[in-house]
Amino acid sequence: MSDPSEALASAKATADRLVKAKRLNACLTPVGELRKALVTQAQAAHPSGVLYGMPVAVKDNICTLEFTTTCGSKILESYRSPYEATAVAKLKAAGALIAGKTNCDEFAMGSSTEHSAYGRTLHPFDKTRVPGGSSGGSAALVAAGAVPAALGSETGGSVRQPASLCGVVGIKPTYGRVSRWGLVAFGSSLDQIGVLGRSVHDAARVLSVISGRDPKDSTCEERDPLRLPNVPESLQGFVIGIPREYFPADLDPAVRRACDRAVRLCKELGAAVREVALPHTAYAVPTYYILAPAEASSNLARYDGARYGPRFDGSADVRALYRTTRGEGFGPEVRRRILLGTYVLSSGYYDAYYRKAQQMRALIAQDFRNAFDRGVDLLFTPTTPSPAFKAGEKLDDPVAMYLSDIFTVTANLAGLPAISLPIGRVKGLPLGGQFIGQAFLEDEMLEAAYALERVVPATEEA
Amino acid sequence: MSVTHDEVLKIARLAELDVSEEALPLLAEQMSRILEYVAQINAVPASEGVKPFVPGPDALRFRADEVKPIPLAFGPEALAPAFKDGFFLVPKLGAFEGADS
Repeated sequence: MSDPSEALASAKATADRLVKAKRLNACLTPVGELRKALVTQAQAAHPSGVLYGMPVAVKDNICTLEFTTTCGSKILESYRSPYEATAVAKLKAAGALIAGKTNCDEFAMGSSTEHSAYGRTLHPFDKTRVPGGSSGGSAALVAAGAVPAALGSETGGSVRQPASLCGVVGIKPTYGRVSRWGLVAFGSSLDQIGVLGRSVHDAARVLSVISGRDPKDSTCEERDPLRLPNVPESLQGFVIGIPREYFPADLDPAVRRACDRAVRLCKELGAAVREVALPHTAYAVPTYYILAPAEASSNLARYDGARYGPRFDGSADVRALYRTTRGEGFGPEVRRRILLGTYVLSSGYYDAYYRKAQQMRALIAQDFRNAFDRGVDLLFTPTTPSPAFKAGEKLDDPVAMYLSDIFTVTANLAGLPAISLPIGRVKGLPLGGQFIGQAFLEDEMLEAAYALERVVPATEEA
Repeated sequence: MSVTHDEVLKIARLAELDVSEEALPLLAEQMSRILEYVAQINAVPASEGVKPFVPGPDALRFRADEVKPIPLAFGPEALAPAFKDGFFLVPKLGAFEGADS
């Protein structure tokens, strides 16, 4: 697209599609405001940009100038950032249209988008189920066809898990590939902005634009933007590792069948397939649920009614003000994680939990290095242990909810890139499989995903 | 691992977070279950030799924990009315409290 009239038409059509998708409660931006903003952006966009006229929705924990950034929280209700995320600025410079802010679990803490102060997001194919989380609004909008791509964020799988549950593509880049400037911090050593798209190509195009160095973020590597690979004819020369720990005896048989079919297709495309061991996988979820809350308890200290957030109490005592504001402003999952994080960092428990988890993280990262050092290029695993679950099913059981991330958290702990793509249906619901790549080798990972996407019967029962 | 109501309240005070009396029992029960679950990492033998894994650019690797002077845009002497040999000169306490001190 290079014609301003086409960009304007795209803006109006996007607004219409977002109105149709309203029943999902996936977009937090009011329709009138969104329509106006899309038209204004289309008029200002540069026709020479590689994403000219492409609407991209943005998760509500990524700062934008046009819209509020609430992080799905009451404590940031009506918060308008004075600056925008580098990823958003790069999208706009490439001619993309920011298509509103998407619903998410509060401060990206959750796996179902039920923990939003603005109500839960519905699964696009079955309103009684969840779209996954925490980037559930982004995944639902892409799956509903409202936008071709959306930004999400990952701390423990929050892009890939909803992508799997909604039947879209989700990419988590290598830690340091995309600037975190303007991404509201949750677990700073784990957080990365990721992309959800209706195809590998759509998601990869957006990733390519938002990647690359950023002097505003010291954790962003000094690298050029990702160059998109060509779609390969075959997977000849690729060695794909199948980690046995991701296929336990009690894995849902339909999930196993879908993965077996995808692996068979990779072989037919010419890839060599080899079983590998990642022996510390079983400890990844416990490790993650120590480290992430610990980092969150520190990062969320700023929401106290003085620095950020409304004041819920007129008390003269400043500490009472902090406590009331935070107690009233945060939802139950965020409160629980702040308390957990404070607990594992507190005197007497630090060594048993936080320090030990740091060591486990190193061992998990070493597992991956060992596999890659033995000649494996990529790993293939299920993205999630099941398709979309029923709303409310895991709300009262935090550990059951945390286990939704069992196959995704390892890539976050090891800082590796990973992509989830649809590989079939289980009882009519979408399911994703994921490739985990080597650090900064997203191009290889994307090649494999392109090739598999072309042949896998993604809408057929496994 | 069982977390008592008092422990939850103590942690809540550290976290500057109000927890209501009604929320306490469920919170204590859920935290106990989560802590019991995550404590399974202690089944892995201690690995003191393992260096922490830090993602991101090498430039961000942990620096030595050394106390170094913080460079200032202006020296302290430029900010103080009187400054000598690295110290700020202030009136003697006696000037305020009487001659007996």
